[in-house]
Amino acid sequence: MIRRVTMRVFWRRHARRFMLPAGGLVITGLMLLPIYFTAETSFEPTSALQALSQSLVPSHFIFSNYRVAFDVEHGSIITSLLIALGAVVLSIGVALPASYGLTKLGYLQSRAIVSVAIMVLLVTQMVPGISLTLAFYKLFLHFHLLNSIAGLILADSTTGMPFATLVLRAYMGSIPVELSDAAYVDGASEWRTFRSVVAPLAVPAIITAGLFVFLFAWGDFLYAYTLTAGGNVTPLTKGLLSFFANNTVNWGPVLATVVLAAVPSGLILSFGQRYVMGGLRAGALKG
Amino acid sequence: MPREEPPPERKATWSVRATVGADEALAEARLAALRDGGPKRARQWLRSHRRQALLFAFVAPSLAYVVVFFAYPLVYGVTMSLEKMGFIAQSGPFIGLHNYNEEVHDPVTGKALVDTAIFLVASIFFQFTIGLGIASYFNRRFFLSGFLRSLIIIPWLFPPIASGTIFAIMFAGDGGIIDETLHSLHLINSPIFWFDSSFKAMFVITFVNVWIGIPFNAVLLYSGLQDIPGELREAAALDGCGAWQRFRYVTVPLLRPVSLIVIMLGIIYTVKTFDLVIVLTNGGPDNGSQLMSTWVYTLAFQNFETGQAAAVANMLFVFCMIIAFFYIRATRREVAIA
Repeated sequence: MIRRVTMRVFWRRHARRFMLPAGGLVITGLMLLPIYFTAETSFEPTSALQALSQSLVPSHFIFSNYRVAFDVEHGSIITSLLIALGAVVLSIGVALPASYGLTKLGYLQSRAIVSVAIMVLLVTQMVPGISLTLAFYKLFLHFHLLNSIAGLILADSTTGMPFATLVLRAYMGSIPVELSDAAYVDGASEWRTFRSVVAPLAVPAIITAGLFVFLFAWGDFLYAYTLTAGGNVTPLTKGLLSFFANNTVNWGPVLATVVLAAVPSGLILSFGQRYVMGGLRAGALKG
Repeated sequence: MPREEPPPERKATWSVRATVGADEALAEARLAALRDGGPKRARQWLRSHRRQALLFAFVAPSLAYVVVFFAYPLVYGVTMSLEKMGFIAQSGPFIGLHNYNEEVHDPVTGKALVDTAIFLVASIFFQFTIGLGIASYFNRRFFLSGFLRSLIIIPWLFPPIASGTIFAIMFAGDGGIIDETLHSLHLINSPIFWFDSSFKAMFVITFVNVWIGIPFNAVLLYSGLQDIPGELREAAALDGCGAWQRFRYVTVPLLRPVSLIVIMLGIIYTVKTFDLVIVLTNGGPDNGSQLMSTWVYTLAFQNFETGQAAAVANMLFVFCMIIAFFYIRATRREVAIA
């Protein structure tokens, strides 16, 4: 009897210490299992018969899958990088002054206008890309933007620009008004106040917004697929699809390409964790 | 020109100041108009609203972008849906609602609509419940909890096309890892070909979409759970509530606003799903796994019926706007605080 009680006390005290982390590991492991198998198999010699090895550790550790993947996809990787960076520059370039303008207009007597603007931005995030891309196709055809990096930068910013504006505006609202007002009193112009006071203070939000815009554009498939038909501009997402569809002999290089396509997400997660979490919440909840 | 004094308190004093300021400006403008007529009045308005005008210049580029890349394509989409239009032409003869009529009676559109609805409900249900489970599990602090929590969001950051490729290979009928595992557990005797029937194909697409959506739900619900003060649950426990009652009567009602937002965002993301279908099934077999989005694509880019595609796209758009309306109503409190 006594023993059972002491056991229970022991259990209660230490269960938390051991069971909770163990359960957490199991949950995370199950969620990440597909990714683990992908990464693991990409370092193994593979054939179509053995599509994904069930072993947890590679039997032979090789890099040849990556060599093949690089040979096939290096052009796509560069294309995707250019598009994603271009989308970051365009989206932030438009969103940063806009969020400053909206924040300041909110302090003047224009709050209704600001509310409407924010509502519009929220709504644009809800517009399905497929509804836009039909018109984009015709427009881009007319302006010779099909199959061009510039065209994809413009199209990809439809996801990035509204999101960046909302994140930046939410952040700028938390910067004390007194700071920019002090600059204004000292005779700084609106542009000067923006450039030298508010924009530098908003750097954390700029990083958050920039990371997300980069990820959106890097991972975009819809516009890459519809606005480059038959051309030689092939972003990595589209390149991965055709590589996968044409390669039924050996999955190894395809899986290596998957890993390459996921590199930015991994980098951002390891170095920009704080910004990612902040952005996730700001974009979804604060509006 | 006296510059606008920033109000010391942003909340309470605002409405009063705003009205007084507006009245004064209006009276001034009226007086000016009486005195000198048009041009001077305009100049005066501009002078008293110089700062606003300047700030509008900051907003102007984004306004232009929204007009060119959202407003115009959407209006264009409406006109396209009312015309007989091929793939290349910029416009075609007006045929009224013929495209809509055609699409409403097309069995593939009907199936895509039903499949999208089932896909939506199943995805949201499993994403939300599993996400909530994970969020409540991690709501307690323990060794490694922060680290594991950050790892769980990885699937959400992956390009969907990459996730789709992984699962396409995993679900491969012969030699795919899922097949092999089921086989070695003696659950099946012959390989399952996951992509040879509409039902199985939709199952796989839903499965992958749930996997992608879980992290998003878990992270947002986790932050919602963290915002619930622990004292409330403690108080309920002191009053004799069991774990289930605490969950049911404290956590659930307090988590409601966040849940609504998470679910609505989930609906929006899910209804936009396109990549997964293309890489997993390409809409097949025999259009058996077309969602609304991929059906629009097939109509426009493979059947070259842009008018009909636009009609379906507009139906999808209207659905998204209905969700958007509820979303904005739910977040309106935050939106109003400009």
